[in-house]
Amino acid sequence: MRLHPALGPLLVGLALAALSHPGVASVIAMSLGAPARRPLSATRLVELGSHHLALASLGLALVGSLGVGLGVVATRRRAERLRRTIDAAAAVAQAVPPVVVVALALPLLGFGGPPTLLALVAYGIMPTLRSTVGAIEAVSPEAREAGIALGLTSRQVLTQVELPLAGAGILDALRVALVLSIATTAVGALAGASTLGTPIVAGLQNQNLMPMLQGAGATAALAFLGDALMLGAVALLRR
Amino acid sequence: MTAVAKAIDRTVGFDIWQLWYVLAVAGALSGIAGALPMLRLAANRLVVGTPLTAAALGPAGWLIAALCLFGAIGLGASRSRFAALIALATFATALVWLTVALGQAATDLTAGQPPATRARLASGGWAGLLMLTCAMTWAAGRARIGGAGWLAIASLLIAFVLLYRAGVYDSLSLAVEYRARAASVQAAIVQHIALSAAAVVLAALTCALLYAWRSGRYAVDIAINGLQVVPAVALLGGLVALVSGMLAAVPALRATGLSAIGPGPAVLAIACYLLLPFWRGLEGALRAADPATRDAATAIGLTRRQILLDIHLPLGAPILIGALRVASVQAIGLVTLGALVGAGGLGGIVFDGMAQFAPDLILLGTLPVIGLSLLIERSLSVVEDAARRRLRG
Repeated sequence: MRLHPALGPLLVGLALAALSHPGVASVIAMSLGAPARRPLSATRLVELGSHHLALASLGLALVGSLGVGLGVVATRRRAERLRRTIDAAAAVAQAVPPVVVVALALPLLGFGGPPTLLALVAYGIMPTLRSTVGAIEAVSPEAREAGIALGLTSRQVLTQVELPLAGAGILDALRVALVLSIATTAVGALAGASTLGTPIVAGLQNQNLMPMLQGAGATAALAFLGDALMLGAVALLRR
Repeated sequence: MTAVAKAIDRTVGFDIWQLWYVLAVAGALSGIAGALPMLRLAANRLVVGTPLTAAALGPAGWLIAALCLFGAIGLGASRSRFAALIALATFATALVWLTVALGQAATDLTAGQPPATRARLASGGWAGLLMLTCAMTWAAGRARIGGAGWLAIASLLIAFVLLYRAGVYDSLSLAVEYRARAASVQAAIVQHIALSAAAVVLAALTCALLYAWRSGRYAVDIAINGLQVVPAVALLGGLVALVSGMLAAVPALRATGLSAIGPGPAVLAIACYLLLPFWRGLEGALRAADPATRDAATAIGLTRRQILLDIHLPLGAPILIGALRVASVQAIGLVTLGALVGAGGLGGIVFDGMAQFAPDLILLGTLPVIGLSLLIERSLSVVEDAARRRLRG
């Protein structure tokens, strides 16, 4: 029997979440011989986590709608000339890492959420767009032609043939975008956004092991749980 | 209308739609450059300052706009390579001229002001520079001459360096900031490259070793893919926490030179992320030779070593170079983040700038990062394409 693909990330995510719990984290820190300091409370972690999740979901919603929408537009017959421009733009966008976007946006947008959101969109949109284009192009021409032969309009071919067949591929692109946006949101802590990256950055600055460990565990847990969720959705769609 | 356009197209020999498109682009360019502030005059390096429109450029602004229009029309009016080359030269001239005009305006604005006064490029100035660069890329693509783009970039860089040496940009705030820390910026660039290279080499060697472990391949595959899910900030923080914990538990480890903060943990964490591109590249490269070729090689009595070096390596070369390209670009980005754990490099300058809220310092750190990754990306993809072409014969 093959294990469900979402099972691995789910278990890792739960283990990491347990690790970030104040009780467990202080035991680990003690066993490592770190000076006993007060750990972050569970409520504080949940509060930071929900901020993190809200910011990452907003970013994912923007990246998803823009990336998939533009991907659909780019695969239309009329936009064929845009294809090379999209590939070039994707390569350039990848050359600007999220830290750099956050840093550049800081003087323009100020501290907190806005520079993080800009980084989320700027870094996430091109990979999503490219994968969407790839997924739609992977739809077999026979299926498309069968749709046309049945007398479907080009809009119906899109909604009834292309999108259902490319669905799993697009969902996979969104899974990568989700993991990316959770990671980028953690970087946003550098710009003062209150996310799960905040205890890590603060811990690194004050040489305090405990929040570093808890923040790292919780951020990674969030990423793995999101990954598991999307893998589960992909598996459901493929069935 | 389309019929009319087609008739004109046939008789005059140019694509009229292209012309409209180009005029729209040029209109947008001059519109944005006209509406957005070109420069900002600030009392010191930390405040935002008052915006100044393109009027600060004087008559040079109009001439630059005219050059842009001329280049765009040339590009739209004809599809010939000659027209594209003319357009490329026009855009390049406009770009250099724009920087000179901005530098001149900055000199005029700061003359007679207190020494702390800064004239900073504003959104319109950046947009103008960026659009002209895009227009140049476009023209270079249309010229369809190998190396035209590289030649343009090289000559532009030489022009900028000469103009900087001549003191044309001296009053621009970025140049003032650079002069104040030229040595540390240069050191940071070298350090950044060294750290990225160390991470890439470490990841490539580890990946090759892991691939040689046949029985564990499935587990390694899962682990490498799983590592990719861990956010970079979390991996860096977690690694520092673990290493410092280990050092506290076993103080004797300190004698071996292990430290929780610094380039060591950063390179290690970054190499973890680079395993995936190399792993995929290695798998793809070894699959590039079809089974029949491999069987034939075995049949004529080649040893395993010869098969690897003479069959797999040449056939998989483009895929391996592609993997190296992706890994290098990622490494340069991640090393920036590595400054968080005290690794040094350009990230240190960026974080200093963020802490002081000093826009010029942030730019001083981020521009070389972007430049380095674009340079690596472009040059390795040229090598990759060349390898692919050689393979096809």
